[in-house]
Amino acid sequence: MSQARGSADELMRSGVLVRVPHALREYTNGQDEVLLEALDVASLLRSLDATFPGIRDRVVDETGQPRRYVNVFVNEDLVRGDFEAARLHPGDVVHILPSVAGG
Amino acid sequence: MAKTVKKGSTAVLVGTKKGAFLFHSPDRGRWSRIGPYFEGTPVYHVMLDPRDGRTAYAGATSEHWGPTVHRARIGGDFARAKEAPKFPEGANLAVTRIWHIEPGHPDEDGTLYVGVEPAGLFRSDDRGDHWRSFDALNLHPSRGGWRPGNGGLCLHSVLVDPRDARHLLVGISAVGAWETRDAGATWTPENRGVRADFLPEKYPETGQCVHKLAWDAAADGSVFQQNHCGMYYRGAGGGRWTEVSAGLPSTFGFPIAAHPHRRKTAYIVPLVGDFNRVPPKGQLAVWRTGNAGRTWRRLTRGLPGPGAYMGVLREGLAVDRGDPVGVYAGTNTGELYGSRDEGESWRTIAAHLPPILSVSAGEVR
Repeated sequence: MSQARGSADELMRSGVLVRVPHALREYTNGQDEVLLEALDVASLLRSLDATFPGIRDRVVDETGQPRRYVNVFVNEDLVRGDFEAARLHPGDVVHILPSVAGG
Repeated sequence: MAKTVKKGSTAVLVGTKKGAFLFHSPDRGRWSRIGPYFEGTPVYHVMLDPRDGRTAYAGATSEHWGPTVHRARIGGDFARAKEAPKFPEGANLAVTRIWHIEPGHPDEDGTLYVGVEPAGLFRSDDRGDHWRSFDALNLHPSRGGWRPGNGGLCLHSVLVDPRDARHLLVGISAVGAWETRDAGATWTPENRGVRADFLPEKYPETGQCVHKLAWDAAADGSVFQQNHCGMYYRGAGGGRWTEVSAGLPSTFGFPIAAHPHRRKTAYIVPLVGDFNRVPPKGQLAVWRTGNAGRTWRRLTRGLPGPGAYMGVLREGLAVDRGDPVGVYAGTNTGELYGSRDEGESWRTIAAHLPPILSVSAGEVR
């Protein structure tokens, strides 16, 4: 299930809100937020990819490892390492953000 | 950004550390620019498909979001292909950079090859939307011994035999040249006669640091190689490479552009050495052979120097298919030089670009 800009009530009831960075909005038809149901970050990314094909590859590589300069936060907590172990709950907000890198 | 590029124009496509640019000209004298495309993103290679003269392909490698393949009608906006090349599941390898995009055989419309880092070769049969890994090479039993050079473990040269689509020759930095004659089912290292000064064994089976490969226009299987340790030529029969560095100011350089029509003719840009990657004597010079490297001629008219201390990277030298042929050199200081008289004289096409990673040229049809 995906839904753009879920209201605060919907979010509290049913889903996890994903904030999509500007660079990946070409995958989401311009949507900056997507509402999904998922139990952990790994399954969240698979659900996101099912709706917007190709977007998961920008966050993790083909070995499943997070890309080196991409950070995923659940609410205000940076997810380190295993996305399967990063549990989600209704009302959580997941931020996908480029790290401070490059030049 | 989409603009029209007239048929019959010459297009020079330039990949840089901060996006890609297209220069086009009706006479190779007056140039117009389109771009930058992929602003801020390194583009290691962008090229015009010579099979139709109007489709451009680019490999963009975002440091954040990873590598992607794109295509455009020349002058138009690039659209992302459906997938990027990926190593097979379980290989424990991930593509970090797209180094080179090569059009497939002229009889195989829509076929492309890409060479990537870490070293890998992939093929698409649908203009870049889906990719197949050459596992016999990418997962070769010797891979555990492949060691990256300074430029990374990159597969940067892909040559498709115009006589036989099943015959490919590829180059991998610090691993060597590899050849298949059965469309990739089996591969053999082809490094006999090529020196590896940086290894205890000077002529090993693999481990040579090939910098670039280019077919000779003879289209008989003859091939040029710029190596970390010299210039080489291999004749039509294959087998051993012959070093042809005599007469050059050094054994070190990166790019090669073979003449598209004239056999045994190629252009290179020697640098002082791996310890000092600048032109000898502070003079940027393109060197040309017309006899498969037996002799070389230094071409400098219109190129910067003395006092020029830049380099031309692996993909930074290209030829068009005009008559006389046009030659183009892009520097890692962001200047693009062009010659429309086979390298005899040069003019600046563009300056103040980001560091140039690749140059390719072709006729728009």
